[in-house]
Amino acid sequence: MKRKILVLLLAAIMTLSIFSACGAKPEGSGTAQNDAEISFVDDDGNQISLDAPAERIISFYSAHTENLYSLGAGDKLIGGHTTCVYPAEAAEKAIYDYKGDPEYVIAAQPDVVVIRPHIARSTPEYFETLKNAGIIVVSLYPESFDDFPQYIEKLALLTGTQERADELLEKFYEDLNAIHELTSLVDDKQTVFFEATEQNIRTVAEGSMPDRAIEYAGGINLAEGAKPMTEGSSIAEFGEERVLARGDEIDVYVSQRGAMNSGGNLISIGERPGFDTVKAVEDGRVFLINEKLISSPTFRYYKGVNELARYMYPELLDDTSVFDIDEPATRRQFASMVVRTLHIPVYVPSSSKYYREERDTHTYGMFEDVHWQEEDFDYIETAVYTGYLSWRKGEDGLEYFDPDTIVTREELAKTVFIAGDFSSGEAHKAIADLDSCENARIVQTLVDCGVFELTADGCFEPQRELSCREVLSALAFINK
Amino acid sequence: MKKLKVLLAMVLALAICLAFCACAKTTEQPQSDDISGEENSAQPTALGDPEKKAILVVSFGTSYNETRAVTIEAIENAITAEFTDFDVRRAFTSQIIIDKLASRDGLEIDNVAQALERLISEGYGTLVVQPTHIMNGYEYDEMLENIEPYKDSFVNLAVGQPLLSSDDDYTAVAEMLAAETAEYDADNSAVVFMGHGTEHAANSSYAQLQQKLLDLGYDNYVIGTVEAAPSLEDVMEKCEELGVSKVVLLPFMIVAGDHANNDMAGDEEGSWKTEFKAAGYEVECVLRGVGEYEAAQKLFVEHTREVVESLG
Repeated sequence: MKRKILVLLLAAIMTLSIFSACGAKPEGSGTAQNDAEISFVDDDGNQISLDAPAERIISFYSAHTENLYSLGAGDKLIGGHTTCVYPAEAAEKAIYDYKGDPEYVIAAQPDVVVIRPHIARSTPEYFETLKNAGIIVVSLYPESFDDFPQYIEKLALLTGTQERADELLEKFYEDLNAIHELTSLVDDKQTVFFEATEQNIRTVAEGSMPDRAIEYAGGINLAEGAKPMTEGSSIAEFGEERVLARGDEIDVYVSQRGAMNSGGNLISIGERPGFDTVKAVEDGRVFLINEKLISSPTFRYYKGVNELARYMYPELLDDTSVFDIDEPATRRQFASMVVRTLHIPVYVPSSSKYYREERDTHTYGMFEDVHWQEEDFDYIETAVYTGYLSWRKGEDGLEYFDPDTIVTREELAKTVFIAGDFSSGEAHKAIADLDSCENARIVQTLVDCGVFELTADGCFEPQRELSCREVLSALAFINK
Repeated sequence: MKKLKVLLAMVLALAICLAFCACAKTTEQPQSDDISGEENSAQPTALGDPEKKAILVVSFGTSYNETRAVTIEAIENAITAEFTDFDVRRAFTSQIIIDKLASRDGLEIDNVAQALERLISEGYGTLVVQPTHIMNGYEYDEMLENIEPYKDSFVNLAVGQPLLSSDDDYTAVAEMLAAETAEYDADNSAVVFMGHGTEHAANSSYAQLQQKLLDLGYDNYVIGTVEAAPSLEDVMEKCEELGVSKVVLLPFMIVAGDHANNDMAGDEEGSWKTEFKAAGYEVECVLRGVGEYEAAQKLFVEHTREVVESLG
């Protein structure tokens, strides 16, 4: 016992020492000398000075937009680039294009336009025009993961949200360290190959955000120490030959999906000549990860790390023992139990055109009663995306999930049936209240299969509310 | 020779008709960097040798390699085996897929214009173009548009029919679908085929095929489409009427690609699999493209034969 405590202590100290630099209070990131004056140097070396926090902002980079929302400054955004679609409300803002006519931006009268150096270099004349019109152009981008807090502090200075920034940063590193601590206790460390681009099977460079994510998630990067293709690039050459030569070492194969790479998928990666000998392919442990979760400097990075850890150590990360209780199960908990029990990768739309497409199904992020910053947001969105959990359109035409409603027996039956593979046999058990079941066929099949017991008088009780424990025990039938 | 003239005239008439037709809706932007360059610019100075013959097999394309091998390639191979005095070439109509295969796998696949330019430069005088399309929809029309500028570049040029053209085709395809899925045909099951669907008038092909299946006594076979009518809703209504407890889902598309994997068999809200399950059906998905069926490959061979023979 003593030895165990000692090991735990050692692990905690080591984790702290590895990541302490990340959590350090940034130095020289700027100052708010008083309420009326904000002054710092941006990442293009420009001296930025404002008398007061910006009130009208246009963002040309999706990560800036996302972070401004996280900081609680979303209402200060008056527009953004077409790629700014997270959170969902950002997609409703006016769209501006730095390859278009700067007059549109000038006419919108922002006090600040936030960009990144890459954009500044692509159309310098556009931003010169804005500056000449008296608009403050701020160029920010954290070149390395260690620069993230300084970057967030600058966005916070611009918007007067320093207090919120401090809270978020503290929570961010706490969450990352919690994942690291959890996975650091695993003896059988998993080796990951991270495919950054399908073309030439490139990987991620040492020190890049995905490389750090593998480290946080407690994995071993097969391409450890890979050198960037060009200075500052997060991409490194690796190649098919090396992947195949070391295929038996790869426990988990992760393919990045997004603007940088359309992403090989489970089928196409398995179809590549020779890839059927890669251990992860043989074991069906090939996963896609959205680049917004893993390569973008936002607070969602924590979610990307969590996903990687789930891919590597599913039983550990998706532990459902907290739900082994007799408390009534809410739909919010239900979503979490379903996604964890079935180890479903969390869903994030990969196309920035997502909100321009018409659909009859639920639109990501559009539940009126589930906020994107809630803890269970991803589980709820994923459970609904897979069609395993239902949702409803209200009389007001808006979308609702009803997260606090208690799960009923019939609702659980429907989820279990959709997610599993159940066959209706020849012999049917008599169900006294089958007529009161909306999904009689499903209820009959699952009762016949022994997933649900009937009461002493032969009733299914479709509307009976369930406890978390009851939900868990029925979900366990899905994988059987 | 007379037959050829009639055929050429038909192709030309159709192409001209299409050029003025507002329905020439395409899913992809025309490629500005095609070998053909400016529209209608291809006017070769000398015609090729009519004894130098080629068959160009035109497919939409797929980036799923294994699927491609057993569908598109299988059709090409069947044609190659049958017409030994013709050289068989490949073209895809989807530039997105062509570009993806080039960058990802280093595979160089021509689009229609590139393939035609290549054949002309190699001195081919006789060309048969055989599409692997299901029907005369937009893809087929677009292919004809791409051929039109080259109509005078070959001594002999003829275009074959897609899978569903004559009444005999419908009978053959209906029999093929039933034979290929005989193992799933049971009293408590419906065999559901998911076609693509189109706004093009050719969408009526699906209803026609459904009728043919019923005429032949295949009552529990249901045809639907992803993007048009009959919709999933229509299909589910039919299954309800059939009173079955199980549905077997198969793509009615040449290749089992994205639509089959996602819209049909995907674990997501709105997919056919999920919707059927939510309605309480036991669901089995069979990810096998129509191009895999030997009978379909033979039908394409027959359509090729019809035009080859028309050349005399």
